[in-house]
Amino acid sequence: MVEPIIKEHAAIKTAKKSSFRSDKLKRQIVPYFFVLPNFVIFFTFIVVPAIVGLYYSFTDYDGLSEMNFVGIENYKEVFQSSEYWKIFANTFKYAFAVVPLIFICSLGIAMLLIKEIKAKGFFRAIFYWPTMISAIIVGVTWKWIFGDSFGVLNYLIESLGFKPIKWLSDPVFANMTVVVGTIWARIGFFMVIFMAGLQSIPTSYYEAAQMDGASKFRMFRSITLPLLKPTSFLVLILLLIESFKQYPLVLALTGGGPAKQTTYLVQYIYEFGFKKGELGYASAMSVVLFVVIAIFTVIQFKWTKGGTID
Amino acid sequence: MKKMLRMLTMSLLAAVLLIGVAACSDSSKSSGTSKSDGKKVTLDFLWFTDGVEGDVMRDIIKDYQAKNKNVEVKLIEVAYQDYTTKLKTMIAGGKPPALARVTDTGIFAEQAMDLKPYVGGVDKFTSQFLPSIKPYYVKKDKIIATPMDVTANGIIYNKTLFKKAGVEVPQSPDDVWTWDEFENAIKQVKEKGGAKYGLLVDFTPHRYSTLLYEFGGSIFTKDGSAPAINNKNGVAALDYFKKLHKDGIIPESVWLGGENPNNLFRSGTAAAHLAGNWMLSNYKDINNFEWGVTYLPKGEIRSSVPGGKYIMGFQKTGVEKETAAFIKYLASKEVNAKFNQNSLFLSARKDNNELDYAFGKDMFKVFSNELENTPEVAANDWGNQVVISKVTTDIRDAVVEVLSGGVSSKEAMDKVAEKLKEAIADSK
Repeated sequence: MVEPIIKEHAAIKTAKKSSFRSDKLKRQIVPYFFVLPNFVIFFTFIVVPAIVGLYYSFTDYDGLSEMNFVGIENYKEVFQSSEYWKIFANTFKYAFAVVPLIFICSLGIAMLLIKEIKAKGFFRAIFYWPTMISAIIVGVTWKWIFGDSFGVLNYLIESLGFKPIKWLSDPVFANMTVVVGTIWARIGFFMVIFMAGLQSIPTSYYEAAQMDGASKFRMFRSITLPLLKPTSFLVLILLLIESFKQYPLVLALTGGGPAKQTTYLVQYIYEFGFKKGELGYASAMSVVLFVVIAIFTVIQFKWTKGGTID
Repeated sequence: MKKMLRMLTMSLLAAVLLIGVAACSDSSKSSGTSKSDGKKVTLDFLWFTDGVEGDVMRDIIKDYQAKNKNVEVKLIEVAYQDYTTKLKTMIAGGKPPALARVTDTGIFAEQAMDLKPYVGGVDKFTSQFLPSIKPYYVKKDKIIATPMDVTANGIIYNKTLFKKAGVEVPQSPDDVWTWDEFENAIKQVKEKGGAKYGLLVDFTPHRYSTLLYEFGGSIFTKDGSAPAINNKNGVAALDYFKKLHKDGIIPESVWLGGENPNNLFRSGTAAAHLAGNWMLSNYKDINNFEWGVTYLPKGEIRSSVPGGKYIMGFQKTGVEKETAAFIKYLASKEVNAKFNQNSLFLSARKDNNELDYAFGKDMFKVFSNELENTPEVAANDWGNQVVISKVTTDIRDAVVEVLSGGVSSKEAMDKVAEKLKEAIADSK
């Protein structure tokens, strides 16, 4: 009588064990299937072209003729080209202006818009809206505003009896318009990231600090900034990469002019690759750009200790 | 667990390989396809449109298909700014179209099919077309394309503003303005006619080179073996171009500010536009002011810059025979006349030089006259496309650098000459 019961019990135990194992297996395997489509796309459109690009950088490929292996000739040319480094300096100056400005403005707006103010949703939408517009359209729109001959701004200036300003044909103003256009277009995106970061900081910290008589600035310096470090790190990395990759907005707004003053690396690489047909050389420039961005990212990572909270 | 992971890795690899295989498969075949029974052939025809010529070509294709039931011509329209990249990608990917409309013939000279066996030899074929454009479509005794239309640079002016200023434009080739006279005329149109802008010049080295030739300069030496753009005449032309900007005859907003000259001219606030005959169909719908075409002012000599569009067939498509037959049809007198007359273009054929245009017949005569007065060196320079296509951006950038005050004309042209030397050496 007892034996069948024991057997039955053992069978149930085995079944449960095997079901537990299969559940565990499922839990381990299933996520990979969810990742699969993205992995395939990433591998096909990012990894493979990157490897092919690296290979091209050692050749004289022009997109049409047979390619020949040229060793490190393209890299030598990149490092000896004064124009490449002039364009690199343009890109760096642009990044140097855009990264801190967007960082400060988006953090400031995020801090304002997490407060209980009237029409909060409306203002959030207003700031976020430009991020949904394609960069080309943003460029065209700002050209419509800043255009030397047809621009709205110059029309207003002339209506008031003043001389029009060469917004796009003067190097200083042209750089300024690109920075303004970029800030307008990207501020909303980083504002949302900061808002998420700010909302994750427990309000009890501020309440305690308030009770201790801390000023608003002290609370910002001692609570907000340290606890926002992971978010700030993410924003800085994204902003830096974005600014080094700037192309469509500037293409539509200034076309890289005047006299290449607003030409940045990606446009320069594109022109060599697709307009001049020097794909080998353009690939070498891309590899150098990749290395530069990687170096900056590593420096930033070390500097901010990977965005960890002290 | 290990088995499952192995399976997973295998399936990932299989998926990646499958995509790779799908992307690489059939690469030897072109976009032109022929059915296995040999009856129906499809010719992919890559095309870009400036004005109305796309519709005109569709009509021509319809006629051709009615006469050749075994052929289907598929017109694939691509925006001009992406056109060369798209065509290069198709060729590099092993899938060239059967034929394409091209402006930069030299870039694709190696990939183009030789039409010689299909059109009765080089001399017979080329004798039908204007001699000045021969370098564009005959390379190393190979006929790489057929000319369809020719273009000429010229002056389109705002008649309303000129009338208001009381300035009369030259009426015949015998009394064309000098550049000084033209400068004065523009100043008057600005002062008395109320023009906000003087002369608009398209932001391309092709249009700039009009001045270069008129100043007796050229891009290459006569035999194309060395640069000539930095000689005395080349530098003088650029100095003068800068002076025109400084004096406000040419607005800086086009070459330095990226403003679209077409829009400026359409606004009715510009006195004149140094453009090309293709703009006639574009400006046809302007009705807020009167406009016309006048002769280019002369420098040391008179000159325009010839250009044009060509139809090129490609090798390794499997449909070369049918492509050649269609290209031959397009090159015929009747079809060429229909295309150019209805598209408002200048024909490249000698026997179609007086077409019955529905619009601007007299304007076309002015452009034709400009071409007749263009030196051969202009055609040779721009026909040397393998080299010129590599330096057009450098020429444009050098001119911009001078205009923005960065360097002197001599320094800029010397720099371009170095690039030209490199491009010439690479082409050998």
